[in-house]
Amino acid sequence: MSGITRREMLRCILAGAGLILSPWPWRTIASAAPAGPLDLVISTGTSATLITEAAVQALGGMKRFISRGDVVLVKPNMAWDRVPEQAATTNPEVVATLVRMCLEAGARKVKIFDNTCEDPRRCYVRSGIMEAAKKAGGKVTYVDERRFREMELKGEVLKRWQVYQEAVEVDKVINVPILKHHSLARLTMGIKNLMGLIGGTRSQLHWHLDQALVDLAAFFKPTLVVLDAVRILTANGPQGGSLKYVKRFNTVAAGVDQVAMDALGATLFGLTPEEMDHIKLASQRGLGQMDLAQLRMKEVKTDS
Amino acid sequence: MRRISQWFFLILFLFLFIKTAYKGTDQIAYPVRIFLHFDPLIMVTTFLSSHQVPQALFLSFITVAFTLVFGRVFCGWVCPLGTLNDFMGRFAPKERRKEQQGDRGQRIKYYILFFLLVSSLFTLQITGLVDPISLLIRSLAVTVEPVVNLMVHVTFDLFYRADIPGVTAISEPLYLFLKRHVLAFRQPLFYQGVVIGLIFAALLAANLYRRRFWCTHLCPLGALLGLIARISPMKRIVGDQCNSCSLCVQECRTGAAADREGAWKKAECVMCGECQEDCPQDAVRFGFASFNGKGRRAGIDLQRRGVIAALLAGIFMVPLVRINPLYKRGQGKLIRPPGALPEEEFLRRCVRCGECLKVCLTNGLQPSLFEAGLEGIWTPRFDFHIGYCQYYCTLCGQVCPTGAIRELTQEEKGRTKIGLAYIDKNRCIPYAQGIECIVCEEHCPTPDKAIKFEVAEVMTKKGRKKIRRPIVDLNLCIGCGICEYKCPLHDQPAIICTRLGETRGEDFLLPL
Repeated sequence: MSGITRREMLRCILAGAGLILSPWPWRTIASAAPAGPLDLVISTGTSATLITEAAVQALGGMKRFISRGDVVLVKPNMAWDRVPEQAATTNPEVVATLVRMCLEAGARKVKIFDNTCEDPRRCYVRSGIMEAAKKAGGKVTYVDERRFREMELKGEVLKRWQVYQEAVEVDKVINVPILKHHSLARLTMGIKNLMGLIGGTRSQLHWHLDQALVDLAAFFKPTLVVLDAVRILTANGPQGGSLKYVKRFNTVAAGVDQVAMDALGATLFGLTPEEMDHIKLASQRGLGQMDLAQLRMKEVKTDS
Repeated sequence: MRRISQWFFLILFLFLFIKTAYKGTDQIAYPVRIFLHFDPLIMVTTFLSSHQVPQALFLSFITVAFTLVFGRVFCGWVCPLGTLNDFMGRFAPKERRKEQQGDRGQRIKYYILFFLLVSSLFTLQITGLVDPISLLIRSLAVTVEPVVNLMVHVTFDLFYRADIPGVTAISEPLYLFLKRHVLAFRQPLFYQGVVIGLIFAALLAANLYRRRFWCTHLCPLGALLGLIARISPMKRIVGDQCNSCSLCVQECRTGAAADREGAWKKAECVMCGECQEDCPQDAVRFGFASFNGKGRRAGIDLQRRGVIAALLAGIFMVPLVRINPLYKRGQGKLIRPPGALPEEEFLRRCVRCGECLKVCLTNGLQPSLFEAGLEGIWTPRFDFHIGYCQYYCTLCGQVCPTGAIRELTQEEKGRTKIGLAYIDKNRCIPYAQGIECIVCEEHCPTPDKAIKFEVAEVMTKKGRKKIRRPIVDLNLCIGCGICEYKCPLHDQPAIICTRLGETRGEDFLLPL
């Protein structure tokens, strides 16, 4: 039962009930047009703010994910001392929009932090995220060494590891990765972005990266994943630096299943989910759906 | 008045010191080096040793001008180290305070000054070791700040962990405030912090033996200003009311006051004005000697023997520190910060103030010991085991007071090689064990990666498989050392940077 969340269970029951109750011709129509809330939305357009809003709205609005009084962690990728144009860090507009939407949905507090790879001060400033998120009302903090706790992750390779306490204590986690190339994992998206919530000698995880990532995905279960593909880094990732590898993609995707979101990211990048070992492993362990055809998906366009 | 001035400048100094760090902008607005720019000793010795003076150091003419007019007011009213000495002097035991400063001790500082002037004339610039401003900044940066940081952290950690109701609620906001405004962003750690700290502690403790011991006995800047002050029109007049109670002589912190006409040691006087205030007869006055011959003073009592010894020592010190094999071939691990002048020129300029060590984002810049010879003690060098050179950071060049490290633009910085990386294939995980790793490639910051991959088919226990192994493109590598720092083999990294290929000199070139 471990692989099925309460929501999925309910959905199964409802779907089953609907199936029994509805007469034949209605059922076919119902499956053609998505019934119930969507799993995944791809939103395109030139304004990062608008497409982020549209993506979340199409999923059912932020109220679907955030309850009044929640403490929310919005976790961008701001691991590097790079500016937004270099597409190594999450687009600040996307982050700020989500912060604002969370607060509008009644969140008590929205936290933003990341255990960066380079000097956090520079990463926070140069990614533009600190300023944008603060302006939107978020609480941006640097990672405090005292707040790492060794926790039982009970994973395949991550048995015990240093985890940032606040990341576990918050009510909801919204993972906001950027879609970019990664030299070892091929791509870095949502699941890889979870590495910013742990401490320890993270570089050693590279020796068994795919397994470690799946262990992380099993431990942290974000409520919502918003994939920033406004600009994507097509090579030299994860850090990039040269503008010649940056491509304007004008897309933001949002979804509830982090495995599906990574699978979607791979597809957007022109790869198949099967090519990504960590997606395959995660799917095998029942952490999510990698077959996009099985999901209720929708595309929205904000530009007319 | 004087106290206010002293505390003002001390607080200004400490404020600028704290602000000399990365605060969210690429440029540091007011680094604490401004105090060094007002330091004429630094200017003179830099000029003698390198025949060039950065324009900012001309500010020290202001200090000279003030001294010419008012005497050693810098020492008594401005110098932050002097203020600290005064403060420590308050704790001197009563009986010690009354003992007079002897001429013998006071001479030493002039000999030190002559020694430094001569050695810098012969290109050996070691003034920074004993220049008061340089010494103070260095001691604060390398020892005091790290110690204070550690103490504060440990204390507040205790409250944090104990989670005492009420106490923790107060301590945490206070901690966050300190962390944001006062403490260093991360715990600074420096080699030789103990040594530099003990020297500083000894200097402060010496005030318990003689008040302002440093200023009266050792300080070469004080000596220089004393020499200049001799020709100032300032004078101290002892009126006829004087009943020779000798209170002023006893109370004088620098041993300059006298109750007789003509015995005032002008070069020792720091113009604190205490004798004027304390005199029960109101007999002491300070004024300008524009009229009559009153207010004569005693000269500086130097011995010919001592002066000659100091000059000779200054001359012989130069070859003495340079009969070191390092002058034949330098150390490969001596990696200087980006923008550093060619080694010889660098040593002639660096005054070891330690500002670059303080601002270094990653704590990678460390004071050297003998890596650059005795001459280069406490000059900055990179230790990539501790930190690395952040690709877009140009702070060290911005804070250097003498231009030993040039201020680079980000674009120049990206082109400046401080060394090159090479891979130790016997240790590197993909080479030695056939396991993927690539951490170095991931962190390599150059826009076109200097660390690339080759795909190789290797035999492993589980059969043949293809893995990616890192290779270094020496044309692109700038030797920033992030690969060495991030290498998961923490004991001894499998990728190491050395000085080979550094842009600044010709000694370590490679056919690129």
